[in-house]
Amino acid sequence: MFILGLAIVPAVYTLAQSFFRVQELDPPTRFNGLDNFRALLTNPNVQGSALNTVAYVVIGVTLSTVLGIVMALTLQHRFRGRPVLIAAMILPWALPGVVEGIVWSGIWDANTGLFNSALTSFHLIDHYQVFLGGNRFLTILLIEIVQVWQLTPLSALLVLAALQNIPGDLYEAAQLDGCSAWRTLTRVTLPLVRPGIAVAMVQSLIATLNVFDQPYVLNGAAETGASVTMQTYFISFQNLDFGQGYALSLLITVVTLLASFVVVKVVYRQVEF
Amino acid sequence: MRPVVRRPTRLRLPRPRPRWFGIAFILTWSLIPLYWTLNVSLQTDAQVGTRPAHYLPPAPTLRNYQALLTGPGDVPGQIRRSAVNIVVECGAATVVTVVLATLAAYAFARMRFRGRGVLFYGVLGTMALPAYATLIPLYRLMSMLGLVNTYTGIVLVYASGFLPLATWILHNYMASLPLAIEEAAMVDGASRLQVLWRIVLPLAVPGIISTTIITFLSAWGQFLFPLVLSSDISSQPLTVVITALQGRHEVPYALLSAAGILAITVPAAIAVSLNRYIVSGLLAGSVK
Repeated sequence: MFILGLAIVPAVYTLAQSFFRVQELDPPTRFNGLDNFRALLTNPNVQGSALNTVAYVVIGVTLSTVLGIVMALTLQHRFRGRPVLIAAMILPWALPGVVEGIVWSGIWDANTGLFNSALTSFHLIDHYQVFLGGNRFLTILLIEIVQVWQLTPLSALLVLAALQNIPGDLYEAAQLDGCSAWRTLTRVTLPLVRPGIAVAMVQSLIATLNVFDQPYVLNGAAETGASVTMQTYFISFQNLDFGQGYALSLLITVVTLLASFVVVKVVYRQVEF
Repeated sequence: MRPVVRRPTRLRLPRPRPRWFGIAFILTWSLIPLYWTLNVSLQTDAQVGTRPAHYLPPAPTLRNYQALLTGPGDVPGQIRRSAVNIVVECGAATVVTVVLATLAAYAFARMRFRGRGVLFYGVLGTMALPAYATLIPLYRLMSMLGLVNTYTGIVLVYASGFLPLATWILHNYMASLPLAIEEAAMVDGASRLQVLWRIVLPLAVPGIISTTIITFLSAWGQFLFPLVLSSDISSQPLTVVITALQGRHEVPYALLSAAGILAITVPAAIAVSLNRYIVSGLLAGSVK
């Protein structure tokens, strides 16, 4: 009985999941042939949001990977207060994305924001500026910084775990060969943590390709920052066109899987010590 | 003559010393935005509007928190109700997920049954799909079952979404436990259930704590799924209500900041006090 129960729980779960996948191809999509896809690809809102999403992905993956490596290197060796620093670092990862949007709207805000206030205090700008919703690239950059804030802790942890597997003799050897700190970093450390960097890049890639909470809170439905996942939501739940919604989710899924595969192929290298 | 390779006796390795730039960066980057929200939440609306802004609250006041927690009116009422909702939904979803994941992980780690490999990779395979790809089918299924605007609907969706990762973390943890103790217990005539309850569970406690925390925090952070699955206050969690308030311009930013601080208190407290379990759980779950 018990074994049966154990086998059935995941089985039912898997069945339920496959049922959803079947639903993605149910009548609205199938009987229209490729009409849904054609409608999506010629929809200017979808095209615009696809462009925005590409920008989110490029900015987000780059920033979170670089900052993650910096944080991991900072935490590589033991020192007093390191556990406190790790606790502070993890904090943004643990918070809800939409509340992070609200937290950061207090920084980018045009009337009361910290960014405006600080720039004015340092006499870098004369009067308060509107940062979000004006210039498209600036809007996307500032929104993506908020998501990077949430993603970087996990990237840092993944790189840190890989760092701690590097045997100390390799550093000794590099030292003996007269490597500078920078050469040691680029020729010894970074190549050896490639698997960790690859996993970190895949997690931020998946998250940025599906970004929703941060642009939704910080910029609403405005075209300057709408992502593809937001279009899926608008198409399905405001226009109630589930067929096109399915089609767009399917496209995002395929792109996500392909992009993850490419990242793993390019960045991942099995390392042996 | 063979060359003698010998390590120099006095090798000067770079002393592992804290890197001050990195430390300053981590602290500033992680904490300043949160400090700023806290700072604004302790000011009055008039103080928030000054230019340049107050970098410290000039006269710290708890009136925004009082208004939300005990005040009358529409907005505080919604905040209080949705705070109850988020606690109930995340708590229930976490319990369901961890119990099922523990059973499933034990079965996958220790039992041989037909179709085990297919099932296991089927469960794990769902993790590769972006969660939002299942949003529409899940919504239609829930509305077919009449579970929109109910706790049950949200808890079911959360549990189905978090089960694969929870199972994976616990599976890795249990697979690393020594088999010999369990075999000895079996030889002594213990049943599967007794082995699981008396031996595996006590040993797996750290893994179970990690899984519980990660599942709870993930549930607390949800927005799009509960937004779609709940259209009224009967089941909307705090995240959905706060975001709706943010879209209404008559809600002042100081009050919104206080609401934001309320919404992050629980996850922040968990993250700070139990971060060791989060780190080990995340690393166990990400090694694919």
